[in-house]
This record gives sequence, C-alpha cells and structure tokens, in this order.
Amino acid sequence: MIKVAVSGINAVDNPGPGLGIIKGLKEGAIPVSVVGLAYDAMEPGVYLTDLIDRVYLMPYPSEGEAPFLNRLLYIQEKEGIEVVIPALDPELPLFIDLEPRLSELGVRSFLPTRKHFKLRAKDRLPVIAEATGLKTPATFAVSSYEELQRALSRLRFPVMVKGLFYRAFRAYNSTEALQYFQSISAEWGYPVIIQEIVEGEEMNVVGVGDGEGGHFGLLAIKKLWITSLGKIWTGVTVKHPGLLEAAEKFVRHFRWRGAFELETIVSGEDIYLIEINPRFPAWIYFAVGVGLNLPERLLRAALGEEPERDWEYPAGKLYIRFTDDLVTDLDLFQRMVTRGER
Amino acid sequence: MKLRRLAISEEGFIFDPETGNSYTVNETGLFILEKLRQDLSPEEIARLLSQEYEVSPEEARRDLEDFLEVLTRYGLWKEPR
Repeated sequence: MIKVAVSGINAVDNPGPGLGIIKGLKEGAIPVSVVGLAYDAMEPGVYLTDLIDRVYLMPYPSEGEAPFLNRLLYIQEKEGIEVVIPALDPELPLFIDLEPRLSELGVRSFLPTRKHFKLRAKDRLPVIAEATGLKTPATFAVSSYEELQRALSRLRFPVMVKGLFYRAFRAYNSTEALQYFQSISAEWGYPVIIQEIVEGEEMNVVGVGDGEGGHFGLLAIKKLWITSLGKIWTGVTVKHPGLLEAAEKFVRHFRWRGAFELETIVSGEDIYLIEINPRFPAWIYFAVGVGLNLPERLLRAALGEEPERDWEYPAGKLYIRFTDDLVTDLDLFQRMVTRGER
Repeated sequence: MKLRRLAISEEGFIFDPETGNSYTVNETGLFILEKLRQDLSPEEIARLLSQEYEVSPEEARRDLEDFLEVLTRYGLWKEPR
C-alpha cells in the first residue's frame, strides 16, 4: 500500500483537481491510501471518507515556506507519506522548492521545474507558441493607464482583461476595460494582460511529461458546456492532429516534467494557445475514464518506475460532471476545526 | 477529405472526431453524405436524388446546393476545383 498525499480536494463550483486524481489512483493497479491536504475545513473532500483516508489542514502558501514545511513535516511524521501530488497553482512553487528536502524525507513527487512553472505567466505565452508552432491572440502586458489605452487602441472590442495568473474578464468598451484593469491590478498587481478575443472551439490537452522530452500520454478534449466561471461541465474527446502534435512539441522542446494542461482555441486551421497549467486540470478523471490513467502514471514516475506510454484513446467519449449531496454528522467538521485533521 | 473522417450513424448522427462537433441529418442528408464519401460529383448526386425521391432534376439540384452550402459553412465540404 502506497501512501499518497493529494491536494485540491475542494470539489466546489471552481473545483480543484484532487478528487479526479484520487479517483484515478484508486482505480489504478497500485493499492493506495490517500491523505488529503485541505486549506479549509469545509472542502468537500474532507467529508468523502471512502476516497480519502486522512485529511490535514494546510497553512496557506502565502504564509511562507517555513509554516508550510513544518506542517508537511508533522504530517510526514504521523503518516509516512511516500508520494505527494500537489494540484493547486499557489502551492506548486513551494513544493518545487521543497522537492529535494521532501525527497530526503522519503516523500517523492514528479513536478515541473521552477523554469517550467514560470512559463505559465500569460506574458510568456508567445515563447511557448513560437516553440510549438501555435499562435497566440494579440497580447499586451500593461502596467499603467497610458499603456492600457495604447493596447486598447490596437485591438477591437470586446477584449479580454486578465491577471498574469488568475482572473479573466470580457470587456465590451473602454470603461469596462478600465474597471477590470483596476480590479485585477488591485488584487493581483501588475502587469495586467489585455488580449484579443479569438472565436473558435475551446480545446484542451492534458498530459504528463517525462522530463526528457517524451511523455506518458496525452488526451485532447473539447469543452461542450461550461459554467459561468468557464469551468467544463460536459466535454468530448477529440483527435485533433495539429493540437496533439503541438502538445508533443511542447513536451519535447521544454523537456516538460510532470502534469500539464494546454488550453487552446481552435479556429479553422489555426490553434491559439490561451493558457498553460503546470498541473492536472480538474477534469483529469476524463483521462482515467477513457483508459489513460495519467494520475497513476504520474504516481509510478514519482516512485521511480517506468509508466506506460501507450496513449491510444477513442474520440467521441463524453464527460459529464454532476453535483451530488452528502449528509453527515458534525463530527468531522469539529475535528478539522479543533485539531486541523481527521 | 474532411468528410471521410466523420463518424456517421445510420440514424443520421454525425460526429467530427477532430473538432468534437456533432450534427444530425435527415434521410436525404444521409443519402447525400454517403454519395459524397463515395466521391460522386454533385451532378451525379443530383441525378440520383431525382431518381430516388422522384423529384425533378432542377429541384434535386437546388436542394443539393442548399445542403452543400450548409456543409461548406460548417467546414465539412469544399467544392472540388
């Protein structure tokens, strides 16, 4: 039995990838016992005792490395974790920096490098696009009112106003653009990204890079229904040769290590890169469901084994997300609040 | 040709594995798609349509053109040069 810690167990309206990863691990050939890492006592994963054996509350990554490491050391002492699969962007830099120390303690992982992680900044998209043969929408990184006006004068409305890492709004006029520019800069700082809107099919690729230019499988999907937060609700697997080829080029060029997701918009023959995520997406169970157990392959890679590389999957498989209800005693919540664990 | 990669069911449900788009067609649409996939020219298909559905050649050609226009709009068919 391998003990694996997984974060992102917040299966809410903006769901974390944790539960999908855990479902994949549980369906894999390696028997696992799962320790959930939560940031709030109310995260639904805390209450899913069939999927997650133990749960610990974590300090926010913004509190710094020391409290984060201390908490991990405590959990390690109690649980003897063998592998950790972090699934949330804000904690990734800490796990990447702590990888050597955690590894000495017997906690292994299979993560992107610091350099890889930095590629996810939206002002870095042109670099990735150039290496992969993808296009990017016209993008301006602006840090002042003047720069914002200059960028807007070169684009047609509506435009996207985005934070470097988080938040994205569609602005239909300059008043709206200024309003979003101000709210994003207040929350996330500068620069703010002003981007052309590209119309087309929203397609994403998930994969796991081996760190040497190869990969342990890729899956391309198209979003069919999205929520008001832009999160996938239903989707379908696709086999878009250009998109899959670009994903392979991406892995090869950057020698990507670990999980990743490429978000694109396909418009006729053109593929525009919109975002890259250095982790599994929340819909990762889709890959498991079509026979590509990427979480399990990542686990094997972290354990130093050679995972499967076969990635044949059928086009036309449907993904349906749905809501569920659970009724339980206050007991678990009480333990999380008073002890920070259950 | 893009039409070849489409998965077409007998009930007229069409799935494009590259774009993830799906469509439905009626019996006549299915008939035309089948013939296009067999590389028949629009002229030949119009002739077969008029025979199969007992309509005048002009009507068959008009209906076929309408349908081909829809296929073109969805990027599923291009007029051969």
